Amino acid sequence: MVTGIETLSAAKELEEKITRFDIHQIIQHALLMVSFILLVVTGLPLKFHDFAISQWWTAAWGGIEATRFTHRFAAWVMVSVSVYHLLYLWYTINILKRPFPIKMVPGLQDFIKLAQELGYFMGLRKEMPRYDRFNWKEKFDYWAIFWGIPVMAGSGFIMMYPVLVTRFLPGWVVPTALIAHSDEAMLALIWIFMVHIFFNHFTPGVFPFNTSIFTGKVAGERYRREHPLEYERLLGISEQKEETDDESKSDAERNNETDSPDF
Amino acid sequence: MSQPPKQAGLELRRLLPFLAFGLVLTGSVLTLSATKVAGLDENNCLSCHDNPELIKTTADGKRISLHVSEEALSKGAHRYIDCTTCHTSEPHKTDTPLTKLSLAQKCGSCHQYQYKLHLESIHGQQLIQGNPDVATCIDCHSPVGNPHSVIRVLEYNAPTYKKNIAQTCGQCHGNEKLMANYGVVEKVYESYMRSFHGKAMQLGTYEVTQLDKATCTNCHGVHDIKSASDPTSPVAGLNNLANTCEQCHPNAGTNFASGFLGHKEASPENIPVAHYTEILFTTLLISVVSFGAIVVIMAIIRFSANKWRE
Repeated sequence: MVTGIETLSAAKELEEKITRFDIHQIIQHALLMVSFILLVVTGLPLKFHDFAISQWWTAAWGGIEATRFTHRFAAWVMVSVSVYHLLYLWYTINILKRPFPIKMVPGLQDFIKLAQELGYFMGLRKEMPRYDRFNWKEKFDYWAIFWGIPVMAGSGFIMMYPVLVTRFLPGWVVPTALIAHSDEAMLALIWIFMVHIFFNHFTPGVFPFNTSIFTGKVAGERYRREHPLEYERLLGISEQKEETDDESKSDAERNNETDSPDF
Repeated sequence: MSQPPKQAGLELRRLLPFLAFGLVLTGSVLTLSATKVAGLDENNCLSCHDNPELIKTTADGKRISLHVSEEALSKGAHRYIDCTTCHTSEPHKTDTPLTKLSLAQKCGSCHQYQYKLHLESIHGQQLIQGNPDVATCIDCHSPVGNPHSVIRVLEYNAPTYKKNIAQTCGQCHGNEKLMANYGVVEKVYESYMRSFHGKAMQLGTYEVTQLDKATCTNCHGVHDIKSASDPTSPVAGLNNLANTCEQCHPNAGTNFASGFLGHKEASPENIPVAHYTEILFTTLLISVVSFGAIVVIMAIIRFSANKWRE
């Protein structure tokens, strides 16, 4: 997933745009977002069926049959995106021989930087922690989906085909699936709208709308602020004068370790 | 000089068909809206009984209203049946008021099959024993519990219209105090409305085509409704329950039926896995959301402070 290296020379010459996401990542995010929104708007009326607005909204879609169809359609889109992402990972690593995207893997550093970030918010520190390619929020979003989609798709499938499923599994899976589906959906919804949207669109420097996930490009100046460690490595001006080589895992790990004393 | 008036006449003549059409339209709208559907009243009973102040005092001093609202009667299912069909030939010698049982008997003089089923049902069995709590015909078939305003099942405002059935049953079965007398502790109405069947019913419109979802009567029966503990009830025991599920979910089987929470919340006794899953996911939800909220609030405060200092 690390594609920044390819734009290294470009970024050196032209300090304006840095390519952060490739076309596959842009498509995956777009499809995930559209299917997520469709799932939310057709799923919420079911959870809050008592509200008058739910009844009005369902009727506006053309009845519960229409919202159900849309919910199932969007669910298959979301599952397809997940499969696309896994295939993409496999393809880039095994066929294109790119390095395993080690920077997405969470570690102790993320907890330290989380504490540092909270310290900054509380006024205990003067600066935000210096992040590498992904900050802890981005990693949380990514891994939450790794947990969330199997839970949602699995429980959704059980409720979609309860007769088929209970031919192989005990009957209690159906009410259990409903509980898991409902709670996990609320968790995802609240997190996305409260944390994800806030930090990606409403923070200073990006407000009112952050286009990076839709265009794949980030202004160099902003990159320097938000992902200083990766930015410096891209430009070859890392304090340790480290090579910009992150092909090797051990180098990347060493990077992480040597980063810590700076804070 | 004669041209202009001639042309004006032509113009008027061209307007004539529209004028005629307009007249017919207005006339029909006025006529149709003015037509009042009147109940059949061959013996002019309503000339006295349409009076809200018509009251009779019985031997034991009870005052009973003898008022029959013409308006309600004209909207009822039986508006074309004369009063004496039910009130027989000598209505002034009839004992009033009817009991719940004698009322059912009266309805049963025409609706024989339904009457027979009702007498075999848990409601009918209790009626025979003189229990005044249970439902008789008008409790479900009239929106106000009055035999003169019984309305047909397919009218959208009928208590027996499919979308309204759960509310109708809920009048008694959602009444905790009343149900406690019969040892029914499950909140059947709330748990139905929480289930997918109830949600789909509530979110669907009043169109009949959107009402193919299960409501109380689909599982428990209609006039022949049985106590859930009666072994002949369609919901008694896993086998009966599975057969009932299969009416809508082909090949459901007992494994499928065993997943039904039985109008109860999941608990350590009732489908424990669902109960513990709920605890797990609620904990996860609350902790993650609180964490997110705290971070966002702290960030808002810090960013606002930065802005303010500038």
